[in-house]
Order: sequence, then structure tokens, then C-alpha cells
Amino acid sequence: MSAASRSDLGVKLAGRAEYGVDAELPGMLWAALVPSPVAHGRLRRVDLGPARALPGVVAVGADDLATLLPRGAGDAERPIFPAGEVAYRHQPLAAVAAPTLAEARRAAAVVRVEVEPGPALIDLETAFPDWPGPDGARSPHVIAHVHARHGDVEGAFRTAEHVVEETYRTSSVHQVALEPHACVATVRGDRWTVRTTTQSPFGVREDLSLLLGVPESSVVVEGTWVGGGFGGKGASLLEPYALLLARAAGRPVRLALDYREEFELGRTTLPAVIRVATAVRDRRIVGRRVRLLLDVGASLPGRDFATGYSIGFLLGPYVTPTFEVEGYGIRTNKPPFGPHRAPFAPQCAFVAESHIEEVARVVGVDPVRFRAEHLWREGATTPLGQPVGPFGLAAALERADALARRWRSEAPAGHGVGVGLGFWSTSTGAGGEARLVLSATELRVEQGERGIGSGSVLRGLVAVAERALGLPADRIRIEYLSTAEAPFDSGVYGSRTVGALGRAIVEASDAVRADLAGRMAVAVADVSLAVEGEEIVVHAPGVRRTVRSLLRPDEASRGIVATGRHFAKPNAIDERRVVTGSFYPYTDFTGAAHVAEVSVDRETGAVRVERYAAFQDVGVAVDPATARAQVEGGIAMGLGIALTEEALWSADGRLLNPHLLDYRIPTLGEVPVPEVTFVEGFLGAGPFGAKGLGEPPIIPVPAAVAAAVRDASGAHVTELPLSAERVARTLKLL
Amino acid sequence: MTETVAHLTVDGAPADLAGMPDDERLLDTLRWRLGRKGTKEGCRTGDCGACTVLVDGRSTLACLTLTREVDGSDVTTIDGAARDAELSRVTRAFAEAGALQCGYCTPGFVVALAGLLKERGRAAPLEELLDGLQGNLCRCTGYAAIVRGVALAREEAP
Ligand code: FES
Ligand code: FES
Repeated sequence: MSAASRSDLGVKLAGRAEYGVDAELPGMLWAALVPSPVAHGRLRRVDLGPARALPGVVAVGADDLATLLPRGAGDAERPIFPAGEVAYRHQPLAAVAAPTLAEARRAAAVVRVEVEPGPALIDLETAFPDWPGPDGARSPHVIAHVHARHGDVEGAFRTAEHVVEETYRTSSVHQVALEPHACVATVRGDRWTVRTTTQSPFGVREDLSLLLGVPESSVVVEGTWVGGGFGGKGASLLEPYALLLARAAGRPVRLALDYREEFELGRTTLPAVIRVATAVRDRRIVGRRVRLLLDVGASLPGRDFATGYSIGFLLGPYVTPTFEVEGYGIRTNKPPFGPHRAPFAPQCAFVAESHIEEVARVVGVDPVRFRAEHLWREGATTPLGQPVGPFGLAAALERADALARRWRSEAPAGHGVGVGLGFWSTSTGAGGEARLVLSATELRVEQGERGIGSGSVLRGLVAVAERALGLPADRIRIEYLSTAEAPFDSGVYGSRTVGALGRAIVEASDAVRADLAGRMAVAVADVSLAVEGEEIVVHAPGVRRTVRSLLRPDEASRGIVATGRHFAKPNAIDERRVVTGSFYPYTDFTGAAHVAEVSVDRETGAVRVERYAAFQDVGVAVDPATARAQVEGGIAMGLGIALTEEALWSADGRLLNPHLLDYRIPTLGEVPVPEVTFVEGFLGAGPFGAKGLGEPPIIPVPAAVAAAVRDASGAHVTELPLSAERVARTLKLL
Repeated sequence: MTETVAHLTVDGAPADLAGMPDDERLLDTLRWRLGRKGTKEGCRTGDCGACTVLVDGRSTLACLTLTREVDGSDVTTIDGAARDAELSRVTRAFAEAGALQCGYCTPGFVVALAGLLKERGRAAPLEELLDGLQGNLCRCTGYAAIVRGVALAREEAP
């Protein structure tokens, strides 16, 4: 199947795809946000008077919520505008709208804001200069505390032949979807409608219902094309402000971020410090300890997902007879932590892999062999007691190792080759529903999400329906509907579209077949579909009927409707191993082994990636061209995390590099065209045994690059990114 | 704010602009004054290439260009792809190669590559063309499919 079969390519190549930034409604106003001038403080006053005095300007702030919201207030925990504490710089304190963007910006600039500045916590390490002690969890800075253990860890460390202990630091990275957040809102009566660029129309609807204090049935979210999501467009961000302004103005309001604001307000991965220790006896790992300090920004208690979920990735896909892990989510004065393609997992894999490599070297075993000997295989148990299902990582590692050896034998002086592993699990999200409509001539998939470009909706779901019903792709059409009409689904994130929603498509396809079999009075298993001329025809032994002839009169205009569902999987964690906090249960196990060849400049420390290869456990590649594209894209994004991407803050919470010039993502000349190999046959939870693939390819990249840098130069860099400066410092060139 | 006028030809159609702020950028003129939104706004600081258009055949970042500076020029954007031979060629090649995912960087890449092909000719070495696209960022594809698309645009029969 060629990539050209994606039905969105034509409209996008012609420049006719309407993204969030393109949405426009007659009579709409343009909006701007009024940002907090400090990272932390107490809000004294927001005086909208000077803005309201300007012609055509509408302004809303905390004081207006009582009149604008039907219940007088929204979510008490998450007020749209803060009334007391200001938690991060650029936090919106008010919003204004005007006939032009320039006027809106001028109006925002004249709003008088008084904040009494307070001490800001920016660098998470200052919260615990000596690491959290026994009552670390009681610190006001800690909003999440997770702790798990299993077996006699103390004994394992006491009797070990080798103990390797290290500290790692990882950086803050931004999604950098090229399209900034943007939406247009309209309020008519009690109907709050927003056209927006989102990965999750239903997630945004739920958020808005809570934030605005209106029922979900009053909120309508229309998803536009999305100019890249990568996790950054999963929850609501601008929609509440735009809706409030639209309500106040009685006209549609457009609110979009410029790229600087995109950086400053982005909810994304924040820095972390990790301590890992491994105890080895007879060349076997006998104990592990991990402690994590994770900057979760201005997240609210109970809303942090990352601290508990990260811990498993820090231990790596390795058999660990005894362990103790403890993680602290530290609240700092930055925007709240948010998802970024496999949130924080590439950083965790960098730590897990760099550390295991170090352990192997100390023990004196070949690092790849040491890994292979400890790797989970099907039937093994994860540290938190979950049984490991079909898992292709060992097979991937074997092939990656063979390639790495070849590349190493060919590599010129100054080059190095490294292998990095990563694992992931397809998320199911909150579940969802698929709706298929079979007409006389086509199959429609009615859908609220447009997908985010990965092709998971347009190619992935279509490929699943193709396979499930035996219809060609050109007779399957995705029809995008607003949340008022589309079946519920939790969104395009967590590598779940094909894996989870795809199962609902299979179920709905089975329902279509059963329905047709019933109408024709034949056995379901005997039914097959085919296209003959214009018509879709149903065959069974001795019978041939057009779909048209099977439609009831009331179905003639639409078709046969069938639905399928999927649900979140039950939590399979062994709770006896959990001391406190919530951890992340796996639905299936996806692995990848990547190989990087790099050169390191011995004077500057600059790293260049010369060659790259991925061996990716995919279960079944439902659509190989689309799957390959996911891997290629994930690798490039991972190279950014590995080498250049790092958001930097000043001590008073100012983002120092909110531009693509100083926050550098990989460019065309910096990413080699990778070799991509699918490892198939280790079946996952998705349709036909597919595993989610949106996130897994990014995970092993920093690990593979770090191993290659170490191989090339001897530099064991324990911080991300591996910038020229860090490599040079590690090599004592600076 | 002083106001200004400009007369452009955009994708073959005359655009006579009046009452326009002096500092209006070509990107905003195209997108909001003329409603030609195929050209995308990314960074607005010249760092992403999403806003690339051709001004008298030359690749130009519309976010860094004042409309009044290009008064009298012929502007070609992705919206005019069908009427320009190089743009059509690149569009076909990108479709064949699947050189896009979200598509947000795509108008910029297509127009920039078409500009390079016009300037250097279809026989220009692949490396030279790829070099000329260094200013265009793509976050989705990892560039691999774009590299395949560029190769096709060179080789594909006219
Ligand atoms: S928008 Fe013009 S270069 Fe980014
Ligand atoms: S296709 Fe999404 S940025 Fe290039």
C-alpha cells in the first residue's frame, strides 16, 4: 500500500486543509491574553478599565466569571483566571478581544495588573538540596509521591559484589508542533461551540464542561485539521478564554498563540533528576533502586500522571528480583507538566540504558549480552508484578546487535556505534466507540477526531476496516463530525488510535456482517463483501445481493449503521508491591532496539548522527508505509531530545529560549534517512495483533545516541541533551 | 499608524490593496486580507519556513516581508499550485512519496522546492536541493519521506 493512498494528502498539498489557525467566522473578533508578569505571587488587582475604554474592546477577568458562566462559577480547583495565587509566568490573568489582532494586543498591554511577587521555585533541585528525607513527601513542594518495593532490597545491596550508583539529569523539551494552538469560539444561548485544533475533541469537551460549569451536552467541539499534536493538543488550553470572550462579546472570537507564547504557555516535559543504583552478584542484577525528582510545574495535586508512570520506564525492560522505587512530583513555578510524545519515556530510557551499560562495563560483561541476559521475555514479570505478554524486544536486540557489529567494523576513526532499547505499552485511554455506516456504494467511518497527521485515523483505521470487511480503501471514507454527532472516543494519543479504537472498528465491522447475514438469512461466516461497478455487493454461498437491495426504506438515505466499542483494560499491577501512589499498568508490551552511528568532534564535542537504524516490534504492521513514516518521524524527534532540545529558565521563571532559533529542533541536514525494520509476530492488544506505534519509535533514540557517543569518544554523559558543550565538558575539553 | 497601498499579482489574480497598515506583513495580507490561507504561519520569526512563497519566482519568507516592499510583484503561493508547472510537479512528487503527515510544513516545502527547481533547474544535484531546504522545518516526517519526495521531483518526467 503506497502512502499516496492517504485521503488527506491531496487537500493538504493543495493548501486547502483548514487548520485551527485558519478557522474564521463572519464578524469574529481577535483575542489576546493578559499574562502574569511574574512566576509566583499573590494577585492584588487586575484593572480591565483601560482596555475597556478602547473602542470595540471586550475584556474578561476573574470578576466576570460570576455573570458570564451559567452557574456563576466553573471548576473551583481550576479557575479559568486565578483569583489568589499566580503560579507561573505568563499564566493568563485576563483576556481581551477587539476587531483586529493589533487592537487586541494593545488592549492586553494596557490592562493594569498588580501582583505581589513571592519566592519562585524554578530549579527543582533547590526544593531538596539533600534529596528528600523520610518526610520528603510532606514538603509543600511535593504534589505527588509514589513508592513501590519488592523483595529484600537491602539484603541484595548488602551482599552484592558490585554496586553502581549514578545520578542523571534530563531537560525540558517542547512538542514544537509547527501549528500553534488556535481556536474560534461562538456562544449562542446555552450552546458553547468551539472550532479548535485538537487531538481529543471529546477530551476538550469534558474539560470545558468542568472549567465552565456547563453540561457536556451544551458544549460542542469541532475538530479542525491539526498541524502536529505530539501530546500538546490533548487537553483544552485556549478554548475557555475564547468561549468566555465570545459570550461577553456576543460574537465569534478567535484566539491563537504566536510561537513565542506557544513556548511560554506550553504544557510539556519538564526537567528531572534521577538517582539509580544497581546491585550485581554472579553477573546477575540482584537489586535496583531508583529515586526520581520530577518537575511537574504548576500541576495540581492528584492531577500528575507522570511521576508514577515514569518509574517503570526508569527500571527498564529488565528482570529485577528486588527493587525499591520512589518518585516525587515537585511543584514548580512553570506551566503544568503535559504530555509530549511518549511523555518522559525517552528520557527514562536514556537513564535506564546508559546506566545498564555502565553496570555491564563495571561488571566486565559485554553491554549487549548483559542486557540480553536480563531482558523480559514473554512470561516474565515486570517489577510491579504484571506478566509480560508477547514482546519482540529480545528479537529486535539480536538483530540490532548484529547490525551494530557490522557498522562498528566499518566505522572510520572518530565514529562510534551504540544500541539503545525502549519499551512502551499501547494506551486504551478512557475507551471509545466506532460507528460504521454502510451505504449502497461506500462505508463511512463517523469520527470526531481528525488525527494529528500520523495517518492513524486516515490510514490506520481505514486499513483496519479494509481488512475487517474486505472492502478497498477507496470505498471507505472517514467522515468528520463534531462532538454533537460523532461517537465518543477518548482521543488520538497514547499510541491508541489503531490499537484501541481499531478494535472498536473490528467489532463494528463484525456487527455489519452479522446484520447483513441476518437480512440475507445466511451464516455470518459465509458473508463476504465486494465492489462490482458502482455497487457494494454481499456474497454468500448461492446468494448475491447488492447492499442497495438490502436497505430498508428508512435506511435508504444513510445506510446500515453499526457500532463497536472498546474499553480500558483492567489494572494488572500487583498492589502488594505498591507502598503508595498510583502506577501505570501495561496493556501490551512494545519494544524497539535502535542503532546509532555518530561522529564526535574531538575539539568542540559536537555530535553528528551519521547512520541510524530501528528494529521495531509492531505486532503486525497494519499499513507498512504509514508505520514506517511513524518510525522515521519518531527518530527525528528523539534526536532533538538527544542532542539539542532544552528549554531554559532564568531563576525568576523567565523562559530564556522561546524561539525556534535558540530552541533547536533537528533540521533536514541533521537527520540521516534511517533504516527501518519491523519485528512482527509478537502480537499486541490491537486489531489483528497490532501494537500502537505513535510513541514507541521516539523512546530508544537518546539512549542509542548516548551509547554511540560513549563508543566514539569515551564520554559517559549523564545529562540530556548531549549538546556539544556537555560532551566537551565530559571529555574535559572545556 | 500610517496606511499604505500596494498592487500585487497573487497566483495570477490582481490584488489592489488599500488602507493597509504600513507594517503589514505579506503573510497577513495573503491569509487575512486576501483569504489565501494555504500559506501557513509558524514562527513568524523566519526560523521555520512554513510561510514560504515565491515573489517574482524567488523563495521568500512571507512572515519577514512587508507587503509594501513587494509592491508591483508577482506572488505565487501554494494556493496557485495548479497553475504553476514546478509547483504541480513538486506536489505530485510529494503525494507519490507521502512526504507529509500533518501537512503544516508542506506548503512551505513545496513552494521552496519549486523555487529551487526554477532557480537551479531540474538537473540540480539532489544534495544542492536538500541544502536549499535547510531553512524549512518539519516535525512529523523526520524528513526521510521529504528527501524521497525531493528525489522524485527531480527525476520525475515533466
Ligand atoms: S512563519 Fe515564516 S519562517 Fe516561520
Ligand atoms: S508534516 Fe507535520 S510538520 Fe511536516
